[in-house]
Amino acid sequence: MKINRKLFPYVLTLPALLVCVGILIPFFTAVYYSLQRYNLKMPHMKGFIWFDNYVNIFTDPSFWNTIRVSLTYTFFTIIIELLLGLGIALLLAKRTWLNNVLGVLLVLPLMIAPALASLIWRLLINPNFGVVNYVLSFIGLDGFTWASHPDTVLFTLIMVDVWVFTPFIMILLLAGLRSLPRQPFEAAELDGVPEYYKFFRITLPMLFPFILTASLFRLLESIQQFDIIYALSQGGPGESSMVFQVSAYLQTFQYTNIGKAAAMMVVLWAICYFLCHVFVKQWHKLKIKTKGELLQ
Amino acid sequence: MKINIWSILKFFAYIAIIMFFLFPIAWIFNMSFMTNDEILRKVPVLFYEPTFKNYLGLWQGEIAIEGFATMYVYFKQNLINSAILSVGSVSVTLLLGVPAAYAFARYKFKGGEDIAFTLLSFRFAPALLIILPLNLYFSEIGLYDSYFALIWVYQLITLPLLLWIVRGYFEDISPDIEYAYRLDGHSWFQSFWRISIPLAKPGIAAASLLCFIYAWNNFVFALILGSSAIQPVTVGALAFITASAIPYGLIACGIVVSVLPTLILALFIQKYLVQGLSLGAIKG
Amino acid sequence: MSHSKMKSAIDTFLKGKMSRRDLLIKAGKYGIGFAALTKLMGMQVTSALAAQDFDWKKHSGTTIKLLMNKHPYMDSMIAELDNFKALTGMNVEYDIFAEDVYFDKVTAALSSKSSEYDAFMTGAYMTWTYGPAGWCADLNDFIQDSSKTNPSYNWNDVVGNLRDACSWSGVAGDVPGAAGSKQWCMPWGFELNSVTYNMRYFEKAGMKPPGDLVEMTDQAEYFTNNAGSNEWSYGIGTRGSRSWATIHPGFMSAYANYGLVDFENNGGKLKAAMNSQASKDFHKQWVKMIASSGPANWSGYTWYEVGNDIGAGASAMIFDADILGYFFNGNPENKEAGNFGFHGFTPNPSASAPTPNVWIWSLAMSNFSKKKDAAWYWMQWCNGPENAMAGGVKHNQVNPVRESVWASGDFDDKIRGTSPGYMEQYNSSIDGSKIHFTAQPLFFETTTEWAAALQEMQTGSNVDETLDKLASKIDRMMKDVGLA
Repeated sequence: MKINRKLFPYVLTLPALLVCVGILIPFFTAVYYSLQRYNLKMPHMKGFIWFDNYVNIFTDPSFWNTIRVSLTYTFFTIIIELLLGLGIALLLAKRTWLNNVLGVLLVLPLMIAPALASLIWRLLINPNFGVVNYVLSFIGLDGFTWASHPDTVLFTLIMVDVWVFTPFIMILLLAGLRSLPRQPFEAAELDGVPEYYKFFRITLPMLFPFILTASLFRLLESIQQFDIIYALSQGGPGESSMVFQVSAYLQTFQYTNIGKAAAMMVVLWAICYFLCHVFVKQWHKLKIKTKGELLQ
Repeated sequence: MKINIWSILKFFAYIAIIMFFLFPIAWIFNMSFMTNDEILRKVPVLFYEPTFKNYLGLWQGEIAIEGFATMYVYFKQNLINSAILSVGSVSVTLLLGVPAAYAFARYKFKGGEDIAFTLLSFRFAPALLIILPLNLYFSEIGLYDSYFALIWVYQLITLPLLLWIVRGYFEDISPDIEYAYRLDGHSWFQSFWRISIPLAKPGIAAASLLCFIYAWNNFVFALILGSSAIQPVTVGALAFITASAIPYGLIACGIVVSVLPTLILALFIQKYLVQGLSLGAIKG
Repeated sequence: MSHSKMKSAIDTFLKGKMSRRDLLIKAGKYGIGFAALTKLMGMQVTSALAAQDFDWKKHSGTTIKLLMNKHPYMDSMIAELDNFKALTGMNVEYDIFAEDVYFDKVTAALSSKSSEYDAFMTGAYMTWTYGPAGWCADLNDFIQDSSKTNPSYNWNDVVGNLRDACSWSGVAGDVPGAAGSKQWCMPWGFELNSVTYNMRYFEKAGMKPPGDLVEMTDQAEYFTNNAGSNEWSYGIGTRGSRSWATIHPGFMSAYANYGLVDFENNGGKLKAAMNSQASKDFHKQWVKMIASSGPANWSGYTWYEVGNDIGAGASAMIFDADILGYFFNGNPENKEAGNFGFHGFTPNPSASAPTPNVWIWSLAMSNFSKKKDAAWYWMQWCNGPENAMAGGVKHNQVNPVRESVWASGDFDDKIRGTSPGYMEQYNSSIDGSKIHFTAQPLFFETTTEWAAALQEMQTGSNVDETLDKLASKIDRMMKDVGLA
């Protein structure tokens, strides 16, 4: 059976697409909800209100707070995890016994479900029984308010996120580093090129596609993060750590305000769409550029 | 061994990283052998009599608290569920995703980038957006409480991830080897199976591990879309919390046990991850 | 041979004419162990029920499915479930979920109108959502129908306030239990709020449990200030997480004791009343207490942290659910188990009796169930006087909702034996115990925002301003749904 050459790529990709396409139905249903005043416990008030939900959330200062907190959280987690993940990957790049062992052990934080990891961290930073606090008491820092104060809660949440998810970046960059062709490096050695030049002009550019992919998924995950924040602070104290999905959770499950929750999530979806669009464009541009540089 | 500023910094870097990432892990392991009484102390207990009560409890399915109550623990079933869901999801994802990643990497075809982006866009939908409508539809078509349905839903998480990671690896492989192999008279599939996939092994290995981890750790879909019988370890571990205690020892034990399968998988995959490509000889 | 003698002894005991102690002695004489005795008693109760002029076996062969929270009440029911199966010939399946995720599961299951689950556990506040949404059945249809309900059911045996608290007309501002109320759920076990304190610590400090909120604040401050050289860490434990669960226990009980209300009701139109001057003064006192002598990470405190702390000896006292203290006191895995005392609490210096807010774990029937009558059979057995007695005496079904259980010598013995001050705490508090919230559909929105406001006040925000902001926010929400 000879498949037309033109159709072949579609044969390879369409099964994946078709399997996922089913999800469009609930998605459009949710978008449909977002255009209604729809609260499950007040069925008599159900009605089509077009974009009123969107107008309401955009004129609500607490929604802008949610955007601000979510973007702050996302920004810092990605930056810190990228730098840390890259650093660790570079540290472990050489195939020594220690590095191989650490390469596996350091994935352990990622293997623990974020909800459970947060539960354990809650215990670790507990002022009464927490071992971290106990250690800090020796340097007088045991009064640190962790997740109990608006000033320190984001720091605490970001710290736990970094703990859980840096291994994600580390794995990808480590695999990337180890798959880089040796040729440019050998050539550079022969030319007597200094270390930092090698790093910035060869290693890093070749790693960029991997870095971008890793950041892309971390971005999507951080901006949608729920487990860590809900487990540690439920969006509090006050509103200081209220991120998108925590707010949506409260609206959906506790307040049964389906219409408003859907509108909020559609906005989140749109933000993800926009950011990823930018990311992917950059990815394509960098691909072309790196290929070009390597050919030199 | 040269002792200079670099190696001192490197030494401290190792220490800092090990302390930050691995100390809590060691502490969890530690706690799994302790009782709540020992865990909840102002001054951490360093020397104690380790107890296997927690592990026994998970294995036997029940823990008797003297003179109070017997707590039933369904963890074994949770582990089996997690295994079925994760292995199932990753298998399906590999089957669908690797060929698709190859296609995106190798062929420029009309709508190709759009399809790739669409597959990525399934990750844009926050779980909370779709969970209630999904539950509604699944209930109506009888897919409530089914492994099949959950594995299907998990594709939304694992497929985009695997696709985009493996795509990057395929793109880095020069097509020359494949052409050479095909010119020798082999079919596309043989070239795909014998050349392309092995060359992309580190990427496929890393992506599979990550997909497995995400499937294993998923929480909300199984909770809403299934009954007690189908719950994975993430939900199951929460059930240890009773009205009279948060049994940290038992939860730590549950974490240790639930991490083991993933750890074993990671060890197994390790050798694929560290394999460098001998591309250097071919490229350029 | 001694079996039949045992049976008649059990009969005498069940009729209330023999004490438990004597029954146990008799059992020992007849060589019947405790577990066997328990089983015999269960069987006998069941045969007594079966002997009624009521067709227990009407739904024999039917299977019903329950959605349950992981809770001691659930464990208690499961322990007795074989008796139900023997009595009715029905089969009962159940799905159990941890409390943290349980209510989400219920919301998801009910909102999909699935007929998967026939009955479930709930709280009264949840039915303020489920009822108007059309998700749960009006149980009056069953209770008042003598063809569906067995003769010994005795609905009036349920403590009066609780029956009403589980019913509502759906009209905002209508008092639960008033005319036109539908019985959305039935009480199964309840909690009222009081002080549980560590008797050892109080003795060491030479104190008696607090008489009012001011004294509580002072005592808590004492404990907190003297924590360094002692085993405890701080004085008073209360909840503080950003959730409705923070407002309804101790906080609301104290709020009501000061005569304060959450809403003013002007003919069905509700106006937020948290920013009245009296309320502001109350909040100042409460926040002062928590900020100075509460736990350092108070804003993350849920039932578990409050219980864990007093259980591990970190706090000297808590103002929360009485059964929270009861459960943690009874669990020997907690370091301070066995050292707790109980004390009915009247926070308002000018009030004469406690006015605790109550939380009632209840049973509700899914409106989408295809086996409602069969499900009702289970519900009436589960909540009947016989099972309530078994649960209260043999297991941990505390607090039982039936007067008959409280009045039984057995139950009294058990409580007095394990929990000093508990019966007194109950007796002094039960008359003032009810749901002090105004029944309205935005209960969760109101209380969650209120908890968030409390958190802000605890970390230093100005109390007056925060409460004014809270009130106007809630008023806006009320306006959006036509209730202002």
